[in-house]
Amino acid sequence: MEIIKQNKKMQQLIGTTLRVGVMTACCIAILSGSYYLIRHGAEPVPDYMKFHGEPISLTTLSGIFSGLLHFQARNWIQLGVLVLMLTPITRIILSLIDFAHEKDWLYVTITAIVFLVILSNSIGGGLL
Amino acid sequence: MTILTFTIILIISAFLAGFLGSLTGLGGGVIVIPILTLCLHVDFHYAIGAALVASIATSSGSASAYVKEGITNIRLGMFLEIATTIGAVGGAIIALWMPTNIIAVIFGAVLVFTALMQQRRTTDHVNVVGSNMARKLKLYGTYPTKDGEKSYQLTNVFGGFSVMLSAGVLSGLLGIGSGALKVLAMDAAMKVPFKVSTTTSNFMIGVTAVASAVVYLQRGYIDPGIAFPIMIGVLGGSLFGAKLLKRLNVKVLRKIFVFAILLVAINMIYNGIMGKF
Repeated sequence: MEIIKQNKKMQQLIGTTLRVGVMTACCIAILSGSYYLIRHGAEPVPDYMKFHGEPISLTTLSGIFSGLLHFQARNWIQLGVLVLMLTPITRIILSLIDFAHEKDWLYVTITAIVFLVILSNSIGGGLL
Repeated sequence: MTILTFTIILIISAFLAGFLGSLTGLGGGVIVIPILTLCLHVDFHYAIGAALVASIATSSGSASAYVKEGITNIRLGMFLEIATTIGAVGGAIIALWMPTNIIAVIFGAVLVFTALMQQRRTTDHVNVVGSNMARKLKLYGTYPTKDGEKSYQLTNVFGGFSVMLSAGVLSGLLGIGSGALKVLAMDAAMKVPFKVSTTTSNFMIGVTAVASAVVYLQRGYIDPGIAFPIMIGVLGGSLFGAKLLKRLNVKVLRKIFVFAILLVAINMIYNGIMGKF
């Protein structure tokens, strides 16, 4: 029987990446959230009871990033969401590198498929 | 109501959701949706967007520790993520045209299923003879126990993969991690040790949720004003819950919680059928 030893170093690296990613996203959310409250806190709540969809400045990478330059609080929050979303994606890329390093081509392929599923969707809907 | 008041209510609710989610092992998303839709009357689509944010945050946060301890089977997770991500993208696309009331009824049904799964007894799989397919895919592994590293084999790769596909669809449709179904796929179908099943399920939730979050973000379902209090609250709550979990006997709490979930589920299904969303 074949037992696959998992790479201890890579486990530590993936674990740390997940933690750092989530914490970074949370810090961005706290800072930009406070900024958002200072600027808009006294305004009445937008109508969340009906779905209106977000403007294009909050649904595409170019829209989100151009808003950052103009210090739009909502765009900075959306950056936090993006960092949060990038966290699991980063760990896929780390696994890909690890499997390639071990010359485990079967798992390089498997990991690449998962990565491509996510990537193709980002392009398909106009995020990138 | 001002944005400030709304934000404070959201942070407190999300904290509670994260706290209960980590004590009961349900994750953050499942509790965020009923709070937002039933209590705060937020549109279901925004609630799903918020639940995805909560799912990614809580799963990545807790997966971090399990991966370092070496309990998580990374190969198994990676392989099954093919099923969950494809399913999740499919589910997210279905959600875009499916009437909200039907989504609410499905959500209620998933809650009932989750509550029942919590009552399920876990049995140790002994002398599992692994299948050829599992061996070829190098899915066998080891995990740390009190008596040192223990090795295990697993079987029924195809069955597990198909259940994961539906877990992915539900996750994309509802914005939740659908951990209960993921554990069922590994523990019951593939005979993976329970501890490895739960941690690997947790590990997979982040990637699965991102696959559908990409679709939701582009369609404008993720609102910054809801996302940031949810992210902060859920993370704070789940960290606090994890700290308390070591000192608390959660058996009684889980029993009470099962009833609470069933009540919420009935409420969801009733409101969905009456067309109130």
